[in-house]
Amino acid sequence: MDAQATGDPGGGNAWGPHNTVTVVDPSPVNWLSITWNTMEEANRVDHDGIGQPSLAESWRWLDGETLELKMRDAVYQDGEPYNAAMFKLGFDKVQEWTNPHPPGAFLNFARDVTCEAVDDRTIRMRFPGGDSAALMKLRGMHLPSTRFWNEWGFIDPKTGSAEGHW
Amino acid sequence: MLTEGVSLIDSRSDRVVMEPNPTYWNPERKPTVRIVYDNGIGKDEGIKSVASGDGRVDVVFDLTPAEAKTFPQSDKGRIQTKKAKTILTGVFNETKPDSVWRDPAVRQALNRAIDRQFVLDQGAHGYGTVIPAFIQPGRYGADPGMSPIPHDPEAARAVLEKAGLGGREIMIVASPSWQGVVAAIGQCLSKIGLSARFVSDRGALPEDFDVKIEWYFDWTPQYPVACVHREFFGKDATLRQGPEDPEFDALYEKLLHTPAERTEEVVREVERYIQDRSKALFLYSPFTLFAVSDRVAFTAYDTCMSELAETRIKG
Repeated sequence: MDAQATGDPGGGNAWGPHNTVTVVDPSPVNWLSITWNTMEEANRVDHDGIGQPSLAESWRWLDGETLELKMRDAVYQDGEPYNAAMFKLGFDKVQEWTNPHPPGAFLNFARDVTCEAVDDRTIRMRFPGGDSAALMKLRGMHLPSTRFWNEWGFIDPKTGSAEGHW
Repeated sequence: MLTEGVSLIDSRSDRVVMEPNPTYWNPERKPTVRIVYDNGIGKDEGIKSVASGDGRVDVVFDLTPAEAKTFPQSDKGRIQTKKAKTILTGVFNETKPDSVWRDPAVRQALNRAIDRQFVLDQGAHGYGTVIPAFIQPGRYGADPGMSPIPHDPEAARAVLEKAGLGGREIMIVASPSWQGVVAAIGQCLSKIGLSARFVSDRGALPEDFDVKIEWYFDWTPQYPVACVHREFFGKDATLRQGPEDPEFDALYEKLLHTPAERTEEVVREVERYIQDRSKALFLYSPFTLFAVSDRVAFTAYDTCMSELAETRIKG
């Protein structure tokens, strides 16, 4: 993959042994580690195993069914601004598939969950009947740039599908 | 940023390379080094490289207790441990309707036959922590009132003999990484007239096995029941070896529809339920083990993921 294809802004950083860490990782979930090293989500889990804000800087339950998230001011490595519309795009994309997450359907949002970008920074998600697993599910909802969606989109080239390939 | 290679569920490139994103918003997690996952180097070779300081490998993930214990004396590298959110547990074979393991009293008796600290010390060189069920004390959802099922071999013997298991060989399927653990369980069982036979999980699962040892981890932001407990006992569990458990499923449904500020109490209820019903052969929480070069300050994650944003080169 060349630098342009990844949105690498370049900058002439000379990589060599002095600034390279070489890793051997036989874990069967290495694919997930790579994803979480190179993508970002609304929230993450820190090295002590505690949930933390990430692309969402905060959230609160407005009532038992409505989660409001405030988005961070950030920029993708290809220069595209991150905002609430990008969160909404990520949600719409994941909802296109029946069972996109390799670990299983427990990560799926129900079909009746809705997501609204109230303004550039605010997302409101509605979970009819409530869903205390919402933040866990958001940890698995990757939020890449438009370019990623247009060029890759988690589609398996062998099958043309993103089922089980998120 | 991923600049070379791919890592998929069923395949990965010889090299996967990630370079820092210079515009990343979070200064605390802004990487300073290029990461190369070298998938052409095997684990043994990687461990030797770290110990020798030849510069080819800086971090090796997922060492077994035996690999960590036999890491050579070295001033170039070391073993690093992490009390990650892991469990090592035995799944009872309840697939047949007449399986003795469908009886909670029999499952509890096998739990009482096991000296967990002995199994950990003898079978895994002490790399772990004995815990009550699936959640480590002090973590979200841990019940401070719970303790591990006590070791009580005589009580165990009586129940197991009554169930027709007296003198039996217990067939335990496990990864070869846990062969020492199975041997230590066998030593515990020998004290009450039973024995254990290790069967590698690399082949087909024998129909008549008794217990299957599983290692599992929790990557979630404080939602362990969905990730771990459900995977063992839920209606969509991939590790369950028996019928569905409507009581567990009802608890899980209750959790899903409990407001966020009250979910921890339901998580504790689930933890108590699986221990009260001896739903598994509870063993311990294994440390994650790494071989790490001394040129690197490596930050391990409790989630067991190889997230490397904070990993630095010293100096």
